[in-house]
Amino acid sequence: MKIIRVNMNKKTIHSEDVPRDYAGLGGRGLTSIIVNAEVPPKCDPLGPDNKLIIAPGLLSGTPLVNTSRISIGAKSPLTGTIKESNAGGTVAAALGSLGITAIIIEGQAPKGELNFLRIDEKGNTSLVSAKEYKGMRTYQFVEKILEKYGKKTSVLCIGPAGESRLTAASIQSSDIDGRPARAAGRGGLGAVMGAKGLKAVVIDQRGKNADPIADPEAFKEATKGIVKAIKENPMSGHVMPSLGTAGLVAPVNAMGAFPCYNSRKGVFEGWEKISGEAMTELIKKRGGNPSHMGCSQCIVHCSNVFVDKDGKYVTSGLEYETIWATGGMCGIDDLDTIARLDNLCDDIGVDTMSTGVAIAVAMDAGYKKFGDKAAAIEMVEEIGKGTKFGKILGNGPAAVGKHFNHKRVPVVKGQSVAAYDPRAMLGNGVTFATSPMGADHTAGNVVGDYLEQKLNPLKEEGQVEASRNLQIGIAFADCTGMCFMAFVALTTPEGGGALLKAINARFGTKLAPEDVPALGIRVLKAERDFNRKAGFTNKDDRLPRFYYEEPLPPHNTVFTISDEKIDSTFDF
Amino acid sequence: MKMSVKLFGTLRERFPDYRHQQGIEVEVPDGATTKDLLSFLKISESSGAVVAIEGRILKRDDKMQHGAQVYVFQAIHGG
Repeated sequence: MKIIRVNMNKKTIHSEDVPRDYAGLGGRGLTSIIVNAEVPPKCDPLGPDNKLIIAPGLLSGTPLVNTSRISIGAKSPLTGTIKESNAGGTVAAALGSLGITAIIIEGQAPKGELNFLRIDEKGNTSLVSAKEYKGMRTYQFVEKILEKYGKKTSVLCIGPAGESRLTAASIQSSDIDGRPARAAGRGGLGAVMGAKGLKAVVIDQRGKNADPIADPEAFKEATKGIVKAIKENPMSGHVMPSLGTAGLVAPVNAMGAFPCYNSRKGVFEGWEKISGEAMTELIKKRGGNPSHMGCSQCIVHCSNVFVDKDGKYVTSGLEYETIWATGGMCGIDDLDTIARLDNLCDDIGVDTMSTGVAIAVAMDAGYKKFGDKAAAIEMVEEIGKGTKFGKILGNGPAAVGKHFNHKRVPVVKGQSVAAYDPRAMLGNGVTFATSPMGADHTAGNVVGDYLEQKLNPLKEEGQVEASRNLQIGIAFADCTGMCFMAFVALTTPEGGGALLKAINARFGTKLAPEDVPALGIRVLKAERDFNRKAGFTNKDDRLPRFYYEEPLPPHNTVFTISDEKIDSTFDF
Repeated sequence: MKMSVKLFGTLRERFPDYRHQQGIEVEVPDGATTKDLLSFLKISESSGAVVAIEGRILKRDDKMQHGAQVYVFQAIHGG
């Protein structure tokens, strides 16, 4: 259990024991509590006072399945709030295998200087010049790094967008096949990494210094229970391996809640062409892989490998949110174009969601026509080339709205919403409005409650409570390193018991079920505390006006949850 | 009453002759509920099946409508 502190201006690296204040924390819990404790809330997110925290989850690096989420936190240059964005891949397991609890990147390299942090299989650390990789896109960069250090290497890196400090820049994470196809996309953390002068973190996967498991027998027992729950759950055991998250295209359209044409309609007429079912069929026909293992120790396989008509690799892990943002939102009903846009975003290092919505806002403002596939590709290419318009687009939808003086911009605290329209899924609107991260579906997605008929998406009753409970539960889940797909299967009493047993066996603790929401609430309170000190108030927890005024077809409803009710979301 | 059913998720794998364009033509007794329809299709509770008509998710005891275009999905909690 150690924390590695890297100072980019002094070029020093120190290893320290985990301080008492951070003990028992992992993933988002650790990144958020460190940011709240150590980052001046009013600092320039792209200046030397901000810190970039990289933390595997509490269970990452153990033999437990589906524990490969890597959390990255900082003050966000996109939202001005605290931020945690997590990604799959191989990095979390690699760091866990080295007994590394967190990496804290501090300071700022002199202008023009670029380095990467190298961690070898013994855990030795060094800063290495990345001069020769300056401006390089992520796929080529990772290929070169793997040539140099071998295939058993995990990489977190930025592309040209991050180096240019664009506020929709992502941090890309390498997958099982050594491709930078997973992303910590939200909040512009790639720009923070770029501002530090850090191109990448390059980690040897062969570390054998994982923290010991306190009770190996109990851990093994808990693992069996967790695997059983994941395999038996209809979502993690059946739908995800077949369709991945793209399986949501059909139900969300059927509920009239799929925002398209920059949130002008709730059903996309071309949705059957871009559904998970259509994608899987196309991938199978072309010889790609519709059920791909993207992350270390994964037994769900929600990823895919999308190939072109000649069977050549295009992208991997094509997901629901990307299909929505670069597809439906832009009026594009062509999977080949969407897959190409996904690959371009990963390669240049920008968030697919912010970028897709930024294109949609530009189209809505009349810059190009909705459905213009070539224009969408050209716009993203402009980010990579660093043109004047590319820089505006790479700063996300709010920057594009400002450029065109266009008011219909679906963002909260500067970050784009996700693929669930608040007018047809009121609870998701509550989450978008109140999440300390800006609009963020992963913070508390109510869609499952609607599909399981626990809640009517169009009626006000129960929406705030549902959002609150999910936000607390997810804040806990994000501490564990476990992916959402697996976590959903552990929300039964048996599954939840097995997860708690695994954590207790890992650390020798005696956490009880009530400690789960307590940890979630602790994390949310730290995040809200940071935001308050940064100058945010309840008035920032609001959706854009058009959601309250412009009815969304086909239900022709608006967002109706009152400000007072919204403000009660964090009454705990 | 008769209705047309389209299947999504992994549900269509259970029907080897399923053609998505046509869907499945189903006839159930008048007054049949969502639960009755799923039972008729031999889709169990444990599959996480969800029935939707005209943009709304139906509860298990909601009555089906003659001539409806019915979509049957599986619950997914997020992406």
